[in-house]
Amino acid sequence: MALLRKALSFTVLLVAGPGLAAQGVQAPEYQVKAVFLFNFAQFVDWPPQVVPDSQAPLIIGILGHDPFGGILDVTVRGERRGPRPFEVRRYQRVEDIKACDILFISQSENDGLEEILLSLKNQPILTVSDSPRFAERGGMIHLVTERNRIRLKINLRAVQAANLTISSKLLRVAEIVGPTGR
Amino acid sequence: MALRDWPIKQKLTAILLLISFLVLLLTSAAFVTYEVVAFRQTTVKNLSTLGRVIAANSTASLAFANRADAKEILSALRAEPHVVAAALYDKDGRLFSSYPADLPGDSLPAAPGRDGYRFDRGYVIGLEPVAEVGSARLGTLYLKSDMKAVSRTLRLSAAIAAGVMGISLLAAYLLAAVLQRRISQPILALAETARAVSTRQDYSVRAPKLGEDELGLLTDAFNQMLGRIEEQNRDLRKLITELERSNKELEQFAYVASHDLQEPLRMVSSYTQLLERRYGDKLDDKGRTFIAYAVDGATRMQRLINDLLEFSRISTRGKPLQPVDVNRVLGAVRGNLSLAIQEVGALVTNDELPTVMADETQLVQLLQNLIGNAIKFHGGERPQVHVSAQGAATEWIFAVRDNGIGIAPEYFERIFVIFQRLHARGEYPGTGIGLAVCRRIVERHGGRIWVESTPGQGSTFFFALSTRNGEQAP
Repeated sequence: MALLRKALSFTVLLVAGPGLAAQGVQAPEYQVKAVFLFNFAQFVDWPPQVVPDSQAPLIIGILGHDPFGGILDVTVRGERRGPRPFEVRRYQRVEDIKACDILFISQSENDGLEEILLSLKNQPILTVSDSPRFAERGGMIHLVTERNRIRLKINLRAVQAANLTISSKLLRVAEIVGPTGR
Repeated sequence: MALRDWPIKQKLTAILLLISFLVLLLTSAAFVTYEVVAFRQTTVKNLSTLGRVIAANSTASLAFANRADAKEILSALRAEPHVVAAALYDKDGRLFSSYPADLPGDSLPAAPGRDGYRFDRGYVIGLEPVAEVGSARLGTLYLKSDMKAVSRTLRLSAAIAAGVMGISLLAAYLLAAVLQRRISQPILALAETARAVSTRQDYSVRAPKLGEDELGLLTDAFNQMLGRIEEQNRDLRKLITELERSNKELEQFAYVASHDLQEPLRMVSSYTQLLERRYGDKLDDKGRTFIAYAVDGATRMQRLINDLLEFSRISTRGKPLQPVDVNRVLGAVRGNLSLAIQEVGALVTNDELPTVMADETQLVQLLQNLIGNAIKFHGGERPQVHVSAQGAATEWIFAVRDNGIGIAPEYFERIFVIFQRLHARGEYPGTGIGLAVCRRIVERHGGRIWVESTPGQGSTFFFALSTRNGEQAP
């Protein structure tokens, strides 16, 4: 709750416009991104066979350097998606990833991003990142910071390839891009 | 006109109309109320459906802070002209997006209230939670809809109700105008019959019977009553006719008898007197005394017969009633009685007397008898007689007061009966007919006669004559 409030106060900052931006968007930026990560769970459906146990936790993974600090943990604490509680896990290597539903790929993995995405290909994991041109490079959801706002770019083909379903509502608030140069 | 003076037809129609009006009014009120309540519920239901749709659509906008999308979603409300304002609040109750674009900032609440729908000063206010199914709340949708549709429904249903009421009342009036006759007709017929009976004294009419209900019973009873009255009238008339005939016969008999008695009596009297004149000197004193007795007897019988004739003439030889000045009548009486008045030194005084409808000759006779009696029955003192008259509502009451010997109360009635005498002939002369004549005269004038007296202190004879004219007793 408290975190949500913090996140929302960031939203207010965003709303307040460029005048306030100078006071530092950097710190609350990851608060908003944490909320977005949490909210993605509400608009994405995983194929049924992936979730054998309906009570199993919905896992949000962070690959590489964790830019959220503890914010993401606070954001999802006590929250549920239907019967499923949330859980945050941190991975250093892509090989460590087992049962993960949403994976945030840190900018620290920018260099090996193509290999990571390749190894995750066709797995029902929603990949999210704020690395440059993430969606065009084969990622699913790219969080783009633009004029103090965070916008979404979605690579629909990658999502479909992973057998995930994204709510049309989410698609409406996002920009849909296709992969280029591959 | 007061309600109770209305004709029964109008009363019945008015009652029927009033009842119909009240029933219709209540029914229409119920109808309009139901319409409005139902429509309000429908309005709320529609608005909440709309609210749920919009709220479901705006989850992503709130979740990912996309104002453009929120604005677009809210602008879809243009299709619903009754929604005058809408807004999205974020999870913390801060305004996120509003509709329409030109909405003044202060027309929205600073923070959304409790979820749900309510009526507020002519608007429906709805607050719908925004959340994905099974997930955390993302914010609140605020909707404000005007009630123009409700008031239009109200107007429409009121107009329908008024129209139905008007038509129903007209139908009720026409029906009432026709149906009230079932009740009013027999009553009116009864009233008409009663009026005919009372104005024409015609007891042969009968009220028409129009049914077997209570009014029919009433009509029957009324007709039976009329029948009985008619029968009794017939019996009475027969009785009266018989009485009149026997009375006339009796009068005729008395008249003829007294008239015919005079002839032989005169013969007895004449020849007795002749006997005295021619043969008086041949008779001794005893014989002359006997003759004197015979003459005296004949004279008294003559007077008796005269009085009887007079009595019977009151009705047989009566003249029609005319205005008569009683002062003049009293003057004539004084003249007739002057001898008796002078003889005893009586004092006859009077007040101013009125003019009444009477048979003058009989009125003279009446007063003469009363004043004559007053003088005759004087005590030791000098007789004083006073005649006065007092006007009452419909009659004049005359009084003849004396200071004579008076009459004991037990004789107040008897003295007016023919041949009833209270005193020996030697004490006060007379035939016992005078007061009977008085009563007969007064009765022929439609009046009455009575006496008030204290023995030893005098008597007052009263007689009342109607001030209305022309009422002759049979």
